[in-house]
Amino acid sequence: MILALRWLWRDWRGGELRLLALAVVVAVAAVTSVSWLAERVGAATEARAADLLAADRAVERPEPIPDGWLRRARSEHGLATARTAEFPSVVVAGERTQLVSVKAVTPGYPLRGELRVSDGLDGAERATTKTPAPGSVWVAPRLLRLLGLSVGDRLALGQGEFRIAGVITLEPDRGSFFNSLAPRVLMPYADLEGTGLIGPGSRVRYKLLVAGTPAAAAAFTDALVAEQGNAVEIETPEGQGRGIGEVVDRARRFLGLGALLTVVVAGVAVLLTVRHYAERQVLAVAVMRAVGARRRRLTTLFVARLFWLALFAGAVGAALGFVVHAGMLSLVADLIDRDIPPPGWRPLVVGWLTAAAALFGFALPTLLRLRDVPPMRVLRREAAAGLLRAGVPVAVAAVVVFALMGWQAGEWRLAAYVIAALAVAVGLLAVAARASIAAVRALVRRRGGRLLWLSGFTRRPWTAVVQIVGVGTGLMALFLLAVVRNDLLDAWRDRIPDDAANQFLINIQADERVGVRERLAQAGIDAAFAPMVRGRLVALNGDPVAEAEDVPADDDVGRRRGRREFNLTWSAEPQQGNEVVAGEWWGAAGDPGELSVETGFAERYGIALGDRLTFDIAGRRVSARVTSLREVDWESFRVNFFVVASPGTLDGLPATWLTSFHLPDTREGVIVDIIRDYPSVTAIDVTSILRTVRSIMDQGSSVVELMSLLTLAAGVLVLLAALQITGEQRRFEGALLRALGASGRRVRRLARYEFWLLGGVAGLIAGGVATGAGVFVAEGLFGLEYPFRPLTLVVGAAVGVITVWAAGGLAARRYQRSSPMRLLREGAD
Amino acid sequence: MTANPDGCVLVAEGLGMRFRSPEGTITLFSDVNLNIRHGEAVAVLGASGSGKSTLLGLLAGLDQPSEGRVLLDGHDLSRLGEDDRAAVRAGRVGFVFQAFHLLPGMTALENVMLPGELAGSGGVRGRAADALERVGLTGRASHYPAQLSGGEQQRVALARAFVDDPRVLFADEPTGNLDRHTGEHIIDAMFALNRDNGTTLVLVTHDPALAGRCGRIIHVEETGLREEVAA
Repeated sequence: MILALRWLWRDWRGGELRLLALAVVVAVAAVTSVSWLAERVGAATEARAADLLAADRAVERPEPIPDGWLRRARSEHGLATARTAEFPSVVVAGERTQLVSVKAVTPGYPLRGELRVSDGLDGAERATTKTPAPGSVWVAPRLLRLLGLSVGDRLALGQGEFRIAGVITLEPDRGSFFNSLAPRVLMPYADLEGTGLIGPGSRVRYKLLVAGTPAAAAAFTDALVAEQGNAVEIETPEGQGRGIGEVVDRARRFLGLGALLTVVVAGVAVLLTVRHYAERQVLAVAVMRAVGARRRRLTTLFVARLFWLALFAGAVGAALGFVVHAGMLSLVADLIDRDIPPPGWRPLVVGWLTAAAALFGFALPTLLRLRDVPPMRVLRREAAAGLLRAGVPVAVAAVVVFALMGWQAGEWRLAAYVIAALAVAVGLLAVAARASIAAVRALVRRRGGRLLWLSGFTRRPWTAVVQIVGVGTGLMALFLLAVVRNDLLDAWRDRIPDDAANQFLINIQADERVGVRERLAQAGIDAAFAPMVRGRLVALNGDPVAEAEDVPADDDVGRRRGRREFNLTWSAEPQQGNEVVAGEWWGAAGDPGELSVETGFAERYGIALGDRLTFDIAGRRVSARVTSLREVDWESFRVNFFVVASPGTLDGLPATWLTSFHLPDTREGVIVDIIRDYPSVTAIDVTSILRTVRSIMDQGSSVVELMSLLTLAAGVLVLLAALQITGEQRRFEGALLRALGASGRRVRRLARYEFWLLGGVAGLIAGGVATGAGVFVAEGLFGLEYPFRPLTLVVGAAVGVITVWAAGGLAARRYQRSSPMRLLREGAD
Repeated sequence: MTANPDGCVLVAEGLGMRFRSPEGTITLFSDVNLNIRHGEAVAVLGASGSGKSTLLGLLAGLDQPSEGRVLLDGHDLSRLGEDDRAAVRAGRVGFVFQAFHLLPGMTALENVMLPGELAGSGGVRGRAADALERVGLTGRASHYPAQLSGGEQQRVALARAFVDDPRVLFADEPTGNLDRHTGEHIIDAMFALNRDNGTTLVLVTHDPALAGRCGRIIHVEETGLREEVAA
């Protein structure tokens, strides 16, 4: 082992292994950065599974929690209790409004986990056991930034005025970590009534939090369920943890597969460099065998050398990965809690395993071929000809790639899909590269010597293809994320008409409808109002619908039915943009007892024409028959419902109203006025939500872009590895051209043209494949018209030219400096 | 293990080598018989392509003959597989090549250390330094082959060949890449080592002057081996 280490050091000193080590470093950096990111973000959420509820158990219902329940929990079961109410609302500060997620809490909250606050955006955070004092709120940092407020400022929440007394830096039961759509406002429960925000039909989630011994908590909630049945929903830490775990796991798998793309590209670089290295080792091995080294000895030496290399390159790669993950964390810092656990050691092991996989999977098979170098090679040059054929190493590498994909994806089918997609993309790149080389070659042949500058490209077609595919893969990943993603969003936005609704007002009480309509009319807005009634599906064709928890996990339809509260409306006419595709819309008179269901919804919930649905609406049972199925154009941003009832069906049930309209920028004041006068009305500004969605996507994808930069780095290594392979040939050609009278400048110029062409073709093809993928996704999956932008191709080619020119030009300098004398001196060997 | 007759360190019996080629089987030589005694210096002369390097390879156990057998220090090489032949070669034979075959990534000293390191023996560095001293290259120990002249490189190769006191030194055109003057220096050094260590020397050459310094001269000709007795 020590001898292997010594020899590794000699190889390194001789510059033999630098590219190989770099390729491993890049691969390890990609995998470890994702591993650390996923581990820390995952741990930040998962480790607090109990904290996620802020309690041991929570009882949720759409009505306020009766005081009697609290007393029972405390006195009969010895539990600690707290109450919360959570609902969306809008805060007003000056002339600005913002959709927020309000949570009103009683003292004692949170029962589990830690609430942390600070006195300002840059203030030091501290854990607190208090809740906001009467008349004050604590808010998420994002709200302060959005509204340009600071601690001490005042904001209006319904009819109440509150002083911002603190910034929430950590909220235990905040739910998922991507919840920046509506920043949190934490207020005293006792102040809730004074705001007038809560009216009949408001979307409020009332919760009773309990904590004590697990058995006591379970006994209390079990008793409550036995008594209340479907009217309450029990939340457990396990259930919460599962949901978050799924999100984190999905993100981890996606990023992990992205990291593997880098590993695969770096693996190609490893294959190429090790091939070059092995070629240079043939004679050394022959000498060793001649002086008495056995095959086993050589095997041990090679394996041990790779072991050491994996150890060192793995450590360096992990260090780089650590830096990259820190960068990724800072990119998404806004979206996740600041309370992230310290980095663990496991990604380091993952890094070493990756290094080992890369070296033993991609490099060892080639090196092991060296064991078969005949010792006669020391006397006869041709004795080892054809020894390093690539067949076996490439096959082994393919198996390793598949195994890595399976490991990272967590399932073989996904791994197979990813590999298939990768193969298609790489195949397209390769075919396009080959075609462009053929085209250039034809051009050179027709034009003869005048196109000498193109000839380098066609003289080495095989390495040119490898170089184009290597660099192209990296560029493709980058373009897909940076350019195509934006194009897709733009395409989607372009499809929304300019006058599409951009404001929703919900929670309008029946007696407020006229007033709100007048306010809007004064601002020149003619808005249609629709009623909304909330109900739970309790029976389908007379058969009771099972609770979601009681449905087997593989019965998706059953679980959906049991889980969700439905929003119902009634209407005499089908809404604009609705098309009846099965059955018939009720007549103008409108018999009560008919339903029209949206097709996609019907499919998801397993509802067919003619089914009889029974809803529990505020304790009353209402049954109706499905007499038509509709298709709905959701992108109109009009108010639409999955389930519409015929007039009269829902009479006498508690309903709120909602409306949507297009609000010109100049009339924004009207929203503030309405919210001030009708505090329970919630305004949802679609434009700002879209902006937020976009900024979240930007943040998320900048993480992935960072990732694809690593892929590009691996692609550049492929380029350099291929350059290294052709280095001797370049040296020879350079010397020959100079011997024939070409100036050094001319030789350099020829190389430069070759790199330009190589980079241009790689970038052009990568841009083309990325655009093709964009078209496929846009038109195939989303039915959007993808805007073809020639600029993507131009930019692609330019980025390719610059990348290849910079990296290749630097690396190739030493090959161009060779003097014509070399030809004479080295002619013999 | 078979005892070599009359204290011969190297014996070839009925040695033949054939190659298959597109034009049919080519017989390079056949029925070659040769006894080389311990401490002898033998020159193998022949035209290009006559098969003298192949003969050297067979005698050194680098390759298997098509027929016949080679006994090296009592070991019948024709019965052994490549790994076992390697074990026989280890420490027993040394090589000097026309193109030196130094490993470019290693310093002069490290190149000389190579055989000892492979054998896993102790005190490798000290012995290698001694060997470099004997060829007058102590001051160049940390130089890489590319930093050495051709003559210096061949002296490093000589040091590498002699470092473990081999029984037999095989040399393939040792002066072929050197100018006359430098070549003579190398030859002097090689014969001095041969004398001091009592090593058997088998060298392939074109150079009649070099051959003339050996006790025996063997010509490889189309008809077979012809031995001339040196004056």
